[in-house]
Amino acid sequence: MAILELRDVSRSFGSGARRVDAVREVTLDVDRGEVVALEGPSGSGKTTLLALAGALLTPTAGAIRVDGDDITNYGARSRTRYRRDRVGFVFQGSNMVPFLTARENLLVVGHFGGADRSALRRRADELLDQLDLTAVRNQVATSLSGGERQRVAIARALMRDPSLLLVDEPTASLNFELGSRVVDALLSEVHSRDKACIMVTHDDRMAQRADRLVEIRDGRILADRPLP
Amino acid sequence: MLALIEIRRRKLQFGFVTGVVALIAYLIIMVTGLGLGLNEAAGTALLRLNGDHLAYAANSNLSVIRSRLSDQDVAEVQALAAAERAAPIGYVAAVIEFAPEESDTAAIIGVIPGSFSEPSVVEGRSLSGPSDILIDRAWVRVAGTRVGETLALPVGFETREFTVVGIVDQGYFFFQPAMFVDLASWKDLVFLGDAGQQPAASLVLIQGRDLDGVRGEGWRIVTKQDGFNNIEGVRAQQSTVDALRYMGLLIGAMVIGVFFYVITLQKVSLLGILKAIGAPGGYLVVQGLLQVLIVCVIGAVLAVGLALLTEATVLSSDTIPIDFTANAMATSSISVVIAGVVGSLLSARQVASVDPIIAMQQQ
Repeated sequence: MAILELRDVSRSFGSGARRVDAVREVTLDVDRGEVVALEGPSGSGKTTLLALAGALLTPTAGAIRVDGDDITNYGARSRTRYRRDRVGFVFQGSNMVPFLTARENLLVVGHFGGADRSALRRRADELLDQLDLTAVRNQVATSLSGGERQRVAIARALMRDPSLLLVDEPTASLNFELGSRVVDALLSEVHSRDKACIMVTHDDRMAQRADRLVEIRDGRILADRPLP
Repeated sequence: MLALIEIRRRKLQFGFVTGVVALIAYLIIMVTGLGLGLNEAAGTALLRLNGDHLAYAANSNLSVIRSRLSDQDVAEVQALAAAERAAPIGYVAAVIEFAPEESDTAAIIGVIPGSFSEPSVVEGRSLSGPSDILIDRAWVRVAGTRVGETLALPVGFETREFTVVGIVDQGYFFFQPAMFVDLASWKDLVFLGDAGQQPAASLVLIQGRDLDGVRGEGWRIVTKQDGFNNIEGVRAQQSTVDALRYMGLLIGAMVIGVFFYVITLQKVSLLGILKAIGAPGGYLVVQGLLQVLIVCVIGAVLAVGLALLTEATVLSSDTIPIDFTANAMATSSISVVIAGVVGSLLSARQVASVDPIIAMQQQ
């Protein structure tokens, strides 16, 4: 069953001669327990597609449904709540809160309301343990290694148990070995917790580890094939 | 609380801003204290008189120095139905030698002994004779005069000995420590030559209601506060001090605002990330304002401590007319906190307008 459904979704920026069509009439489903690798050159529309799925942008045309709910026309508050409760983001370069420890970076989502703090603390400790971060849980984010930061980012994305994970270049700043460990951790979490995941990547070796590969060029899906 | 954690972890950055806030608050407290001190020196003795209204000579332009009331003027004022009690008082400045080669000026105020216009003593006894004098604590601090000692006051080309019988806490008048003598003795001090030209009083101190603006042929009544405000130089002095305070608050608001705006600009990408992972804009604005509030409150508390330290050390002598009251310190501190929060509203606007899309490094 599809968790994320995009139907003829388009997104353009600017107008007139300056208009850029970043995403054009994209239709895409991502099922529960599935990791979809989104591959394409710079400027092909990968990140815009991710931002649309995460309600960071609203589509110019088309419809987006998550868990059966149409999020296309959500207002600002609904989009904020949607991002808080139903989506887990892993950004390029991890994007930790620099003055917080690894554990506090996970717990930060509890500050935004709508959650039982003590349950979140238990969950944070559980995720830190699963992602092999217990030893660094009290280290400030800036003192963590690149791989540790990305794993903390994955853990943070899973804190509210979202049904959809949106991951943007998770291995961009890591070497192959570290990158592989991060992707392994991500795949393990998605499969074991039955999430849907879109992972934007430039790295074909990482993309090949996903369940499906979607290639995008000039805002359009060029190919969509399952991976062995 | 994210705001508190950030302050705790970024001590240097926030410590620096807190120091700047403390200096601004200190400046404003000092200016306020100076204003109060100047007011105190200008005429607390007038404000502390036990009455609500004052009658001045009609042609005095509400100047205590120029006001001269005749016996008839005083009698007319005392006869007013709305005046529950009325007592004539006199003022004259006198240079008093309190030690060989050492003298200072005092404000000699004539009162009727035993009347409501005579101030209460904090040490010694009240006036009972024409050679008794009450001196203010301010004079005691300057000259060290004690109860029982004598002071020589000029009468014409001679001097006359007055015995200090009590000490009062009335403050200053025209920047001179106040002293109180029998009104009859005051008349001798201001003797103008012809006995027929001798004034009965400078003012009439009145207890009563609805007397503001009441006039007679040779006199007019104003509230005691109006009388104080019309002391020569008080209004200009107060305006200057107020202008300095408001400028200080304005500059403080701008400086604090700019500091927090710069801090906010440095955090734009972080704010974008927090918004992207579900932080409501309102939550982040509240966190930002909370930081401003914490920094300003700590800065204001430091400033109060610094001002008290200054008062106890540098300003322990009477050479600078500065006065710190709890009310003035609280008002100045709260003003700085409010100015800081108002100044940082631009940052709050910036926080609210951050687009979470920047978390994905695109716009």
